[in-house]
Amino acid sequence: MEKLRSIEDFKALQGRLVADRDPSIPTIVIPAGTCGQASGANDLIRVAKRELLDRGLADSIHLRITGCHGFCEAEPSVLIEPTGTFYPKVGIEQMARIVEAVAEDKVLDDLLFIDPATGRAVEKQCDVPFFKSQIRTILARNEKVDPIRIFNYIENGGYSALVKTLANRDPRWIIEEVKASALRGRGGAGFPTGVKWEYLAKQRNGQGKFLVCNADEGDPGAYMDRSVLEGNPHSIIEGMLIGAYATGANEGVAYVRNEYPLAIKHLLIALRQSRGFGLLGEDILGTGFTFDIKLVRGAGAFVCGEETALMRSIEGKMGEPRQRPPFPVEKGINGKPTAINNVETWANIPLIFRVGSKEFAKLGTKGNTGTKIFSLVGKIKNTGLVEVPMGITVGDVVYEIGGGPVGKAKIKAVQTGGPSGGCIPAERFDLPIDYDSLAEAGSIMGSGGMIVMDEKTCMVDVAKYFMNFLKYESCGKCFTCRKGTQRMHEILEDISKGKGTPEHLELLEELAQVVKDTTMCGLGQTASNPVLSTLHYFRDEYEEHIRRKKCRAFVCKELVGAPCEAACPLDTEAWRYVAHIARGRYEDAYQVIREANPFPSVCGRVCSHPCESQCRSATGGKQAIAIRALKRFVTDRVEPSVYQAKRAPGTNGNGTKVAIIGAGPAGLAAAHYLSLAGYKPTVFEADDRPGGMLVSGIPSFRLPREMLGKEIEAILADGVSLRCNAALGRDFTVDSLFDDGFKAVFLGTGAHKSRRLGLKGEDCEGVIPSMRFLKAFNLRGEQLAHGRVAVIGGGNSAIDAARVAVRQDDVESVTVLYRRTRDEMPAFEEEIEAALVEGIELQILVSPVGIRTDGASVSGITVIRNRLGDRGADGRRRPVPIPGTETDLPFETVIVAISEDPDTSSIVDASSQPLEMRVNGTLRADPVTLMTSRPGVFAGGDLVTGPNTVVDAIAAGKKAALMIDRWLRGEELEQPSIARLPDIYVEPVLLSEEELAKADRVPVPVIPAESRKQSVSEVELSLSVEDATREARRCLRCDLEFTQPKEGETARPATVGGTA
Amino acid sequence: MITLQINGLEVAVEEGTTLLEAARFLGFPIPTLCHMDGLSPYGACRLCVVEIGEGPRAKLVSSCTYPAQDGLKVRTASSRVVRARKMVLELLLASCPQSKTIQDLASAHNVHRQRFRQEYEDCILCGLCVRMCEEQMMAKAIGFRGRGQTRSIGTPFDIKSEECRLCGGCMYVCPACQLRCTYTEPEKAVCGGCANVSPPCVEKEQFDDMMCYMTPCVACEIEK
Repeated sequence: MEKLRSIEDFKALQGRLVADRDPSIPTIVIPAGTCGQASGANDLIRVAKRELLDRGLADSIHLRITGCHGFCEAEPSVLIEPTGTFYPKVGIEQMARIVEAVAEDKVLDDLLFIDPATGRAVEKQCDVPFFKSQIRTILARNEKVDPIRIFNYIENGGYSALVKTLANRDPRWIIEEVKASALRGRGGAGFPTGVKWEYLAKQRNGQGKFLVCNADEGDPGAYMDRSVLEGNPHSIIEGMLIGAYATGANEGVAYVRNEYPLAIKHLLIALRQSRGFGLLGEDILGTGFTFDIKLVRGAGAFVCGEETALMRSIEGKMGEPRQRPPFPVEKGINGKPTAINNVETWANIPLIFRVGSKEFAKLGTKGNTGTKIFSLVGKIKNTGLVEVPMGITVGDVVYEIGGGPVGKAKIKAVQTGGPSGGCIPAERFDLPIDYDSLAEAGSIMGSGGMIVMDEKTCMVDVAKYFMNFLKYESCGKCFTCRKGTQRMHEILEDISKGKGTPEHLELLEELAQVVKDTTMCGLGQTASNPVLSTLHYFRDEYEEHIRRKKCRAFVCKELVGAPCEAACPLDTEAWRYVAHIARGRYEDAYQVIREANPFPSVCGRVCSHPCESQCRSATGGKQAIAIRALKRFVTDRVEPSVYQAKRAPGTNGNGTKVAIIGAGPAGLAAAHYLSLAGYKPTVFEADDRPGGMLVSGIPSFRLPREMLGKEIEAILADGVSLRCNAALGRDFTVDSLFDDGFKAVFLGTGAHKSRRLGLKGEDCEGVIPSMRFLKAFNLRGEQLAHGRVAVIGGGNSAIDAARVAVRQDDVESVTVLYRRTRDEMPAFEEEIEAALVEGIELQILVSPVGIRTDGASVSGITVIRNRLGDRGADGRRRPVPIPGTETDLPFETVIVAISEDPDTSSIVDASSQPLEMRVNGTLRADPVTLMTSRPGVFAGGDLVTGPNTVVDAIAAGKKAALMIDRWLRGEELEQPSIARLPDIYVEPVLLSEEELAKADRVPVPVIPAESRKQSVSEVELSLSVEDATREARRCLRCDLEFTQPKEGETARPATVGGTA
Repeated sequence: MITLQINGLEVAVEEGTTLLEAARFLGFPIPTLCHMDGLSPYGACRLCVVEIGEGPRAKLVSSCTYPAQDGLKVRTASSRVVRARKMVLELLLASCPQSKTIQDLASAHNVHRQRFRQEYEDCILCGLCVRMCEEQMMAKAIGFRGRGQTRSIGTPFDIKSEECRLCGGCMYVCPACQLRCTYTEPEKAVCGGCANVSPPCVEKEQFDDMMCYMTPCVACEIEK
């Protein structure tokens, strides 16, 4: 190609290129940046080329290979121009079809992107939610340009900005324009680019000046600079040329890290091409302006992204920062004045001159103009590069563009700025993204990494991860940075291993502050940010690690042990009984279950199984072990008499009398464990039979009464006295109990009062509170529902009520009305599923606004449709009524199941000393000691927590027994926690490769839906022996990491009785 | 001449003077470890930090590397400075408890404990030896290698350097590996240079002078 000798030459060439272009020719665009190539874009390109040649379509359909478009989640993708049709995750076998469809001008509906929010296919790229909310002034150009073809760049308006500035012949005008655009450095610190250039321009031009493009992008999880360099290298060259003309610089350096081979390749090709065209080098376009760029490869030190270290690296010395002042603009590379800008800053320069500084400054907010590219990664649906105007909120990026969390998880925080940045908690997602707001929140903009973290991310672990990174990436010159990062990592490691003390936290904070204060360069000054910001926003998590020895995200191994055990409120060693089942030793398994839990059969049926939600088998597309079904399998097979309760030999209690009020799961568990400790517990029950919510709330088709009766019987038979029809406040008071010689009282009266809708007509006939409805049926067999039944609510009692109603004789239909969507329903997923199978209808996004009556009884309700609005503090989107969508629905029965409250009035009145309440109507009890505001009176279960799970109630009772024992013996109630780690070795059963490959969660057998409606017999059935064994063998045995004997060691006996 | 304020006192210094030189000129003590007259300033130990600027823009800088600027307001012993220095000393004690130089500094700043996991290292990577070798001995026999946690000083590839003339300048300037504290047993003194017990370069009679004289001795307190 001939060198372009003048501006006119260039314009002529550009005109020719534009005139030759026919935008109506369909073009297949395949992004093949590093990310695209990694997911198979090269294969797509090969197939597409062959198809085009084979079909003779090479002239009628164009193919363009470009850099990354940003939607990495959807790679390898294909974009069709000019229609804008977007195909995500294209396989090579689909490429031929796409070529054919383009040739015939058709759209392949089955390959289109499916919007997860609506479930509908989206044809055009601009309508995909990920792209819709972005403003892609820089990244969109990646789509238009083949990075290794300069013609492509010129034809799309490339180098026009350079020509414009060269034609103007006034460097001061360029600087004024950049200043007017208010562009701030995109590398992270946000120094105004125009001001930096002005300084450089003012420096005396003795031996030359340098311009540097900083592409040493080392943040873990950030790769926007790579994408720009790979996808549009000429824009960087053009930007640097404009900068050089403005500042009088004659030498340019692009410092690219060696880990970016594709970026280096594309940039080298681009440099060669522009030199060949006379756009770079001596006498550019005949204007006498001389500037050349050389490429320097960084050797992979994170600190070399710091400007003074970068300059030393370019000089060929060790990458080590130095004191500023003198600033690089005064004394830079080899002592010559130097200005350093980030890749993204340079990419913005041509844009400013193409659209004009005024237009540029319109985007974003005042002082923070233009767009910023973020690499959005982590626990989020849509990962990729997003370009947004400055000032957009963090929440918009995470939820709108990023699509929110994966599955039902809750997003906890976002880390911006990589290891030098800090985290921003979900409560602050309304924070606008700009340099100053982020700094104020304790983070930094950084180069633009954005790592999304959900509740399965441990914040201590996050800080530890970054500190580990920094202790290797600090240059090591400043003592406080080198040693400080090591020491911070050491402390964090101690905390995550359960060795932390409150002094650790104090020291950590003190050290972090000093490291921030006393180091020389940006790396050290921001190195403490991950620690300081997590400490600021998530101090409770640190304290939980230290005091409770718990990691709520189940990440810190030394605190979690086996996640199933750690997740169980009762500390049931699920891994252990599953291991016994795998070996066919069911009695051993029963011992393990029963030791932790006096209600094994109950929990084998209705437990909310928190163990399964933490099961590590559920990672990598597999499903959790069916732990609950396995528990039931064992309890169905083993006689309870196998277990002999262990009584403390010295009997602590000496027959001291303790009063338990409420014979629900919490009360009975407390009584049981107190009895084992040698106390004489008496249980007072207001109803005519024990069981509490287990008998009155949970229907028998989920929890058969005979089995439940046996389990309660067994507890009562073991040293527990029961007095039914004795209600607190009516028959006795807390004071009278103490007068009668009871030394401690446990309150476990539950939450039995259904919350009211607060609508007119709620008291008319046919409107039934769910608790009344369930009790009538479960205790007395009364069928209160008839005709068309509406159940209002989305919790477990709503689903229970609906499933009870569908079994009643006079019921025509049952509809559950819920105000949000199914994803937000608090009821257990499997219960909802079972209800739907039984023919119950689910109406979502509706709220009742009125009850219509026909005389004294209900005739229907008026509902209003909702849409999902903003996210509340819990991360769930709030229902917002849509005005004018009120509809009348006819119902003969309306069951109100929106929530339950404890009936605390009788409790408060029954004590002469005050019992404190919370604002939500529950009783206040210390979360650790369970003691209420009255010494000697303890409380637990739904009364304290509000409506909650069975297993939590049992756990509260068990814990109360321990606390009451400590209290009566005058011991300290709060004792230091230790992490519970697996310590008993059960030999694993080895699986063959085929067994492993086949292993998938066994479905729990159920009786057919048709026969269910006629009966109240149990729906779920027991697993078969084969199924149970197969399922148990699927367990990953997280415990082995702790229990596997080292060579030469003997393991602890595997069975409780030592009869292995 | 440049006029600046140090702890409220005005001082005029020549251009190119560092804050450390200016402060010492006025008689304000600033502790240093990696600084030595005759060697170029480096700014590694961070002991010499002083506070400059005011309000929210106030910050700590190492006085040995920071050039004096017109109108600059410097505080050499503000509470922020003292807190930072104490933490630096605590970190130093945690790594090199037996260096006499560090013990003296810690003692002088009333730092008598350290709360980190105790290490017994020989080098604080202050770089004095590297600069001595390069700038005064013109040898460049030793230098830094690695970064972060793995940074160390040595000859290339850890083999005997032909540039090294065994002048001993590196040992002479070292604040950490000179005679080490041997608690109350002077005869066990080990010379950092030759690793000899009862080093021949020290007169037998001088062993008594190496007896720990600090009360209380920082290293002994940590030992406890």
